[in-house]
Amino acid sequence: MNIGKFKWLFGKNSEFWPTNMKTGMWAWVGHRLTGIILVVYVFMHLSFLSTASVNDKSFANLMETTAQPAFVFADFLLVCAVIYHAMNGFRVILFDMGIGIRKQKLVFWIMMAISAVIVAVAFYVLFNEGLFKGEWF
Amino acid sequence: MTEQRIATSKVAGSWAWFFQRLSAVLLVVLLTVHIYMDHYAEVGADITVGWVHERLGQVLYIAVDYAMLAMVIFHGLNGSRTILFDFDVFVKRKKLVDIGLWILGIATMVWGIFVLLPFIEG
Repeated sequence: MNIGKFKWLFGKNSEFWPTNMKTGMWAWVGHRLTGIILVVYVFMHLSFLSTASVNDKSFANLMETTAQPAFVFADFLLVCAVIYHAMNGFRVILFDMGIGIRKQKLVFWIMMAISAVIVAVAFYVLFNEGLFKGEWF
Repeated sequence: MTEQRIATSKVAGSWAWFFQRLSAVLLVVLLTVHIYMDHYAEVGADITVGWVHERLGQVLYIAVDYAMLAMVIFHGLNGSRTILFDFDVFVKRKKLVDIGLWILGIATMVWGIFVLLPFIEG
């Protein structure tokens, strides 16, 4: 494989080099990255459930495993990915309908503000009522 | 470069484009309900097979679960297809990619149907 072929993807002159990317490009890259993560997760979701549906005990084991702090945190990150993907997706659909395309940066930050609120609520519910049950320390 | 990309996305088809948007809107609604009902509404509660089975006693739950699965598979695989072609990967093998993704999608749907069956039957 010829490494030079990928110069457009990596390197300082690439449109994907962080300092070369502007708001819209970050939004686009984020949408692709969260998309890939979510596709991988869907297959994991099905595969875990298929092993858990063998009998009551394996389902109980899965529930016990996923209640561990590391899994709750991963669950939270997953919810963040879903929220970002959904909110930026709304932005894309708005542009498809010809709404707000000239103010795409502003629309992006409005969507991110809405996302932040939903993420905060999800964080509170998952950690306060789920993992720590109101006793953080 | 830019012109070439616009031309590429036209070939990808307005059918796929439209259903990507339609499934997106439906998934936002259904996933909100799914994530809330299954992961947030009774957070911290003891979730058992019996509890899942009881819920799946309602036909609406089964219908929503399978509809969600079909849409998530379409949206995910069609999105992957877009990413592949955006990065000029397999662009010259479009037909082959489409056939491969349809087979993968249908196989995943069948698998998913069977994954849920034991929970429905209890």
